[in-house]
Amino acid sequence: MALRRSIVVLWAVAAAANAVTLWLVFTYAPIEVQMGAVQKIFYYHVPSAIICYVLLFLSFLFSILFLWKDEPIYDTLAYAMTEVGWVFITVVLVTGPIWGRSAWGKWWVWEPRLTSFLVLWLMYSAYLLLRLFSRGDARSSKIAAVVAIIAFFDVPIVHKAIAWWGSIVHPKKVVLEPAMMWTFFVSMGAVFLLAAAFALTRTWIGIEESRRAEREVAR
Amino acid sequence: MRYFRVVALVFGKDFKDELRRKENMASSFLFALLSLVLFAFALDPTRVDLNQTGSGLLWLIILFAGSLFMGASFRKETENGTLFALLLSPCDRSAIYVGKFLVNLVFLVILEVLLLAMAFVLLNFRFQDSVIRLAVVWLAVTIGYAALGTLFAALIAQVRGGQVIYPILLFPILIPLFIAAATLTQDALSTGFSWSNQWLRLVGLFDILFFTASVFLFEYAVEE
Repeated sequence: MALRRSIVVLWAVAAAANAVTLWLVFTYAPIEVQMGAVQKIFYYHVPSAIICYVLLFLSFLFSILFLWKDEPIYDTLAYAMTEVGWVFITVVLVTGPIWGRSAWGKWWVWEPRLTSFLVLWLMYSAYLLLRLFSRGDARSSKIAAVVAIIAFFDVPIVHKAIAWWGSIVHPKKVVLEPAMMWTFFVSMGAVFLLAAAFALTRTWIGIEESRRAEREVAR
Repeated sequence: MRYFRVVALVFGKDFKDELRRKENMASSFLFALLSLVLFAFALDPTRVDLNQTGSGLLWLIILFAGSLFMGASFRKETENGTLFALLLSPCDRSAIYVGKFLVNLVFLVILEVLLLAMAFVLLNFRFQDSVIRLAVVWLAVTIGYAALGTLFAALIAQVRGGQVIYPILLFPILIPLFIAAATLTQDALSTGFSWSNQWLRLVGLFDILFFTASVFLFEYAVEE
C-alpha cells in the first residue's frame, strides 16, 4: 500500500514538473537563432538520452544482483528498468529525426551517435522479445539477466567504436545561454521524475504479477 | 589439469559427433555458398568490383551461416536430454562451455576458409597484402564471435521459440565486432594495416571481455 501511495504522489509531482517544463520551454526559453523553434525539442531529447543510460545501468546492476543473490525481486526490478529504459531510447530515436529533419534537412544520417543509439534500441528490443517469448517461465529470468549484462557491456563499445568515425551532427560541447540552461535543468528534473514514476509503477506491476503467479501455484 | 581434461572430452565428443553426422556443417556451408551466389546476382560482379567492397558481404555471410551452425550446438543436447546429464557431471561447468566454444571455433574457421576460397574463385578476390594479417584478423574476430555465439546458444536452448530469438539476440551485440572485421578485411585485402590499428585493438578488447564474461555467466545462467 505504501508503494501504491508513493506512486500516486510521484505521478502528481512528475505531472506538475512537466507542466512547468512545458511552460518554460514555450514561453521562457528564447528561440534559437539558427534552428528556430524546433530546437525546443532539445529539452526532452537530451534528458531522455541521459535518463535511458541511467535506467539501463540500473538494469545491468539488478541483473548482476539477480544472478548473484538469486532473489526474485532483483529480476522484477531489472525487467522494469529495462522496459522503461527502452521506452526512453525510443523517445530519443523519435525526437532525434524530427529535430534533424528541420535542422540539417535529413531524417537520418549514418552518424556515430545515431547508429550507436539504434544498435542500443535493437539490443534491448531483443531483450524484451526474449521476455515475451518466455513469459511465465522461471528459468528464462536468468537468461534475460545474462542478456542484459552482455548488452550493457556492449554499450560503451558501440559508443567508442563508432565515435572513432567522428561526429558530424552532435556537438562535443554545448554552450547554453542562461535562460536556456535553466530551462534545461528544470526539464532534466521533470524527465527524471517522469522516468522514476514509470519505473516505480512498472516495478509495482511486476511485483503484483509475481504475487498472482504465486497464488495460482498455491491453488 | 582435470579442468582441461573435461574441456578435451567435451570437445572430442562434439567434434566426433559433428564429423560423423555432418548435417550441421554441410547445411551451414551450403547456406554460405548459396548466399555468396545470391549476393553475386544481387550486385553483379561484372559491374561492381567486389574486391573493393565485398568484405562486408563475406562477414554478413559468416554471420548468418555461423549462427546457423552455432545455434544447433546446444539444441541437440536438449533434444536428446543430454544437457541434464552434462550439467550433472561433477566438474566445473565452465569447462563444458569452453569445450563447446572450441568446437564452434574450429568449425567456424573451416567454414571461413572454404568461404574465402569460394570468394576468390567466384568473386575474383585478390590479395595485395600478407596472408598472415588476414589470418590473424579472421581468427581474432572468430574467437569473439564463437564466444558469444556459444553462450547464447546455451541460453536459448532452454527457451520456447529459442531458434527464432537466437539471431535477434546475437546480431546487435556483434555489430561492433563485425564493423571492425569488415574494415580490417578490406584493409588486409588492399593496402594492409598496422598492428597498432584501433580496429584491431577493438577486436582484442571484444574477445577478452566477452570470452571472460561468457565463462562466468555460463556458470550462473545455465541450469538443469
